[in-house]
Amino acid sequence: MFQAEALREAFQLFFTPEVFYWMAIGVTVGVGVGAIPGLSAATGIALMLPVTFTMSVAPALGLLIGLYKGAVYGGSISAISFATPGTSEAAATVYDGYKLMKKGQGRKAVEMALSASVSADTASDLVTILVAPPLAMAALAFGPAERFWLVVLAFTLIGSLSGKHLAKGLISASLGIFLATIGPDPVSAVPRMTFGVWWLSGGIPFIPLMIGLFAISTMLEESIKLLRERGIVQRVKVSIMKGLLMKSGAGLTFREYLRCWKEMLIGLSIGSFVGFLPGLGSTVGAFLSYGVAKQASPEKKIGEGVLEGVAAAESGNNATVGPTLIPLLAFGIPGSISAALIGGALMLQGATPSPRMFKLYPEIVYALFMILIVANGFNFGIGRIFGRLYARLGLLPKSLLVPLIFMMATIGSFAFRGNPYDVVLALVFGLLGYGMRIAEIPTAPLVISFLVTPMMEANLRRALIISHREWIQALFGSPLSIGLVVATAVLTFISLKLKGAGMAAESREETEKNSH
Amino acid sequence: MKRPGEWLRCNQGVGFMLTLALIAFLVHLELSSWVHRKVRDGFTLGFFPVLAVVLLIIFSVIMILDTHRKETSGGLKTFTFKSFLGGVLIIIATWFYFTVMRKVGFLIITPVYLLFFIYTLGLKSWRKCAVSAIVMTVIVYAAFTAIGIKLPPGILWVILPF
Repeated sequence: MFQAEALREAFQLFFTPEVFYWMAIGVTVGVGVGAIPGLSAATGIALMLPVTFTMSVAPALGLLIGLYKGAVYGGSISAISFATPGTSEAAATVYDGYKLMKKGQGRKAVEMALSASVSADTASDLVTILVAPPLAMAALAFGPAERFWLVVLAFTLIGSLSGKHLAKGLISASLGIFLATIGPDPVSAVPRMTFGVWWLSGGIPFIPLMIGLFAISTMLEESIKLLRERGIVQRVKVSIMKGLLMKSGAGLTFREYLRCWKEMLIGLSIGSFVGFLPGLGSTVGAFLSYGVAKQASPEKKIGEGVLEGVAAAESGNNATVGPTLIPLLAFGIPGSISAALIGGALMLQGATPSPRMFKLYPEIVYALFMILIVANGFNFGIGRIFGRLYARLGLLPKSLLVPLIFMMATIGSFAFRGNPYDVVLALVFGLLGYGMRIAEIPTAPLVISFLVTPMMEANLRRALIISHREWIQALFGSPLSIGLVVATAVLTFISLKLKGAGMAAESREETEKNSH
Repeated sequence: MKRPGEWLRCNQGVGFMLTLALIAFLVHLELSSWVHRKVRDGFTLGFFPVLAVVLLIIFSVIMILDTHRKETSGGLKTFTFKSFLGGVLIIIATWFYFTVMRKVGFLIITPVYLLFFIYTLGLKSWRKCAVSAIVMTVIVYAAFTAIGIKLPPGILWVILPF
């Protein structure tokens, strides 16, 4: 499986000033995106996708992976500074982080969040590097029927685990299947579902869909909120942030960092496992790690403003970043929105993620592994140097930010192909995404099923051709297919239990917070 | 007992409206001739699109019947026709901005679009709005030009170096 020649090529791809430059830009923008409440890693990656079109594959991956890692950590900055998590995955950091801020130990808390994030992220990236290749090798033995069941497994997990309402998650996944069927039929190439619109005959392009669902819809929601709340001045108590903003605030010592090893280990183990399962996401990882760490060491008084609480939550969410790419690299199935966006970027570069990726493009996979590891160093450096500056980003008025992102989303969707209809699509999907947001229908299942539906359809049709249109023989003809059907049931059960535990931990913390 | 307006906002109401719309769409699909056209491998052209719509109907019906049916999502509780109209107006304004930008040029129309957008969203000093709009336009233009993405020059094509 290991190819020395490919590794040499990967070094050539990776060790260029361009890759390092874009990785630094990615992390810088990512931490900023994470630190601003209302923006998420997905919004940032969606906005940056059109930019990657002008790059070669390694700088593009450097930019997106850097942005992803930076944003997951960046969420903790506003969680600690104003008790407003910049991203949902940082919500568990609020409990101890904000209490530390009020005690005047904000700088310590932010540095603990950074150290725990980077440590867990690096270790989980190593897990990814060790686990993905053997899994991809095993997946090479899969035939069309097994690949079809693999996609069904992903649909079931992603649809049932995203959001709090099972039916809404599955509606979103079905909507993704529906949108993916617009365009040419994969066997005959005859256009279908185009509603007589000629520019839909090539199908729905990925970038306008992503920009619409993640950038325009979010900004539309923020604009409407701002229009409704016009005149209500939000005052942030900057005085509380003194411990973070002043240079004199005490920083994290190495001894304090080492003291939290147990919480970081819990975060790493839980986060890596949760990240590997499609659909659960880093928020569940953070809350589960926080809950387990709290129960494992009651004497540490996690929840009362201690560094261990920040370490558990932050290592739990950042440890999902690497493993979320395992299903993408091994099976071609993205496990989260961010993984889907990175998969989309790989597709735009002509390297479609699939089990054959290790065979067809090993140099890209190795370069991606190198980027995963090295981006952590950038995350640490940039987060450490500009931590105080990022804390101020949360104070940026939304009335400036929203128009800027709206404008960037519009020109981004146009710049991708120079096609004005892409802007129409982005705006339409922006409205659709807004509708889904207010109805609390999760968007992750839509994106992931949109990406994997062509694979599912092609494999089902191939399996039926092989079995001469015998459906039972095609779908249940091999022990591996039956095994995958059983695995779908078992994994869905385990994941639902994990999700339940994560949600229970979240509501327990909320209740405790309110009672205080 | 919920009033009709309130009921339409709860999951059951949303599921009901979705189901009705999807059934109408399914009927439209079934009446379209391309749906029944057979392709090389024996599948009809409309097999997968119809399957997706059937799945959507099944899950919408589940939404009408399941244990969450009485709940109303936070966003729908505060949703008003006025806010919907606001959203649609922003989308139309953005499309208008884009159409004009292709003819007049990015550097000319973007500050105007940003100026009005920023002012509408609550920054009540025209001077601050104008300065912010111009600074943002120049930064975005410079950033996109630096990475090799050409933005519509419009009528400034004669004097712009890029």
